[in-house]
Amino acid sequence: MCYSISMKSEDIKKLADLARIDMSENEMQEIAKSFDSILAYVGQVQEVSKLNDQKSLEKNADDYFLNNVMREDNVTNKSGEYTDKILKQAPDTEGGFLKVKQIL
Amino acid sequence: MIDLKNLTIEQAHDSLEKGDYTVTELVKTYLDVIKEKNSELNAYLEVYNDLDSQIKKAEEMFKDGTATILTGIPMALKDNILFEGHIASASSKILGNHVATYDSFVIKKLKKQGVVFLGRTNMDEFAMGSSTETSAYGVTRNPLDTSRVPGGSSGGSAASVASDMALVALGTETCGSVRQPASFCGLVGLKPTYGAVSRSGIISMGSSLDQVGPLGKKVRDVEIIFNVIDGHDVLDSTSIPDSKRELIKKEPLKKRIGVPQEFLQGGGINEEVLKNFKESCEKLKKAGYEIVDVSLPSIKYSLAVYYIIMPAEVSSNLARYDGIRYGLLEKADNLFSVYTKSRANGFGREARRRILLGTYILSHGYYDAYYNTAIKVRKIIKDELLEMFKNVDAFVTPSVPFLPFKLGEKLDDPLSMYLCDIFSAPANLADIPSISVPSGKNKDGLSFGIQFTAPFLREDILFTIGKDFEKLV
Repeated sequence: MCYSISMKSEDIKKLADLARIDMSENEMQEIAKSFDSILAYVGQVQEVSKLNDQKSLEKNADDYFLNNVMREDNVTNKSGEYTDKILKQAPDTEGGFLKVKQIL
Repeated sequence: MIDLKNLTIEQAHDSLEKGDYTVTELVKTYLDVIKEKNSELNAYLEVYNDLDSQIKKAEEMFKDGTATILTGIPMALKDNILFEGHIASASSKILGNHVATYDSFVIKKLKKQGVVFLGRTNMDEFAMGSSTETSAYGVTRNPLDTSRVPGGSSGGSAASVASDMALVALGTETCGSVRQPASFCGLVGLKPTYGAVSRSGIISMGSSLDQVGPLGKKVRDVEIIFNVIDGHDVLDSTSIPDSKRELIKKEPLKKRIGVPQEFLQGGGINEEVLKNFKESCEKLKKAGYEIVDVSLPSIKYSLAVYYIIMPAEVSSNLARYDGIRYGLLEKADNLFSVYTKSRANGFGREARRRILLGTYILSHGYYDAYYNTAIKVRKIIKDELLEMFKNVDAFVTPSVPFLPFKLGEKLDDPLSMYLCDIFSAPANLADIPSISVPSGKNKDGLSFGIQFTAPFLREDILFTIGKDFEKLV
């Protein structure tokens, strides 16, 4: 069985924009090419879902993850306990804040 | 002179306790080997600079009688395990200068035992690869043949133990990343039950699949480490609570092991590997195990399911690297370009590919065909395995379908690299434990591995079979 999908570099461009990654034309072509073989391979999963009885397939992905772990909404650390340590990891800070480019 | 080649945790502990040598001397012996071999193998990215204080603590434990079996044992850490105050970069440029702000669960546990962490080891970037060639910090070489890969993604950890640069090591798995390099380097590697070991403080790749696993020369070494890092942790919501652990009935072994024939036939196994596998099954029979054929009609789809679920989780997990809170920041005129440039320069080629693949798989119009279908097939595979385990203790396959390959051989063909994981995928998808044990060497000295996979939380079965098998090789 064949699940041939032909990706173009425009399709890859759209994904790269969504994923916030700058990408050269060369790389987009290379990725498009590799996607064709990868998607053809992973497309096999559609065979097994056709073979199996529909009952097990009626559920949605979310039904398998319904296992919430809850706890009381208590504060577990002192205010500011980790602030310095964590801010030290940030590339650009000012006065205890993370610094970013103007948004508006 | 300490003989490192055959040294086990128990032997080292015995010698440390008797005073045959001190922790300082043991660590120094490993450091000498690192000095001699690491420039060629590139297993370690860094040897930690606080060894003296770690050693001092271990030696005090021996003096005051609080030493345990792991006190003073030199261990290597994969570069995606957080150890407070030390760099953890996941071998990526985007986290090149990232210093861990807290200890992972496994480090907390092992610190209490007085383990000496020697340094951090090279890996495929964000654990994405099967050869340790996608690291931003150079390739690692296989100590058994330096023209070949050590496997991956925990290739640096495997190479460090195989070359006597560490007694034992920690790796992590999303799909075979401990077992496959263990097999390629002639070691034992364990992928525990999902939720057995906490993922708190492990740099995420595929959160529904990731587990920390130990590597060592012997099954017993791996078992000792597992017994310490196994346990519930409130900081990981998928960690298995004690109430659920207590429900597992540890029934005695049936001494029956299943061979999934159709799966093996479709696995593209190399002839030498198949021959070694058949010989290994004969040895198991001689040791009193019954080897039976088992039918798992959907297991052959495991790798396809994995290569949908994993990139989906990757694209979501790696969205956090934006150059703002930690890691690499590339300056640009506006915030959008800060993101796109930091991520373009920070992530390597394979990470970029998988982020885009996951973005595609989760996008509107394709979600049902790929992600939603893969989740359902994952459940079908899990159910088939559960049913099979009613009749057998474990199932067995080769760990990897082929022998260690040459550096660069598969790097330009992502799909052929992905096929390394074909026998690894079922355990990660079904949340069950699996172990790779060395099963001999070929005429060129390359290592074969055999893999046993057991039911949920039954690592004990893997240790029993693994130790029985070890005696036969």
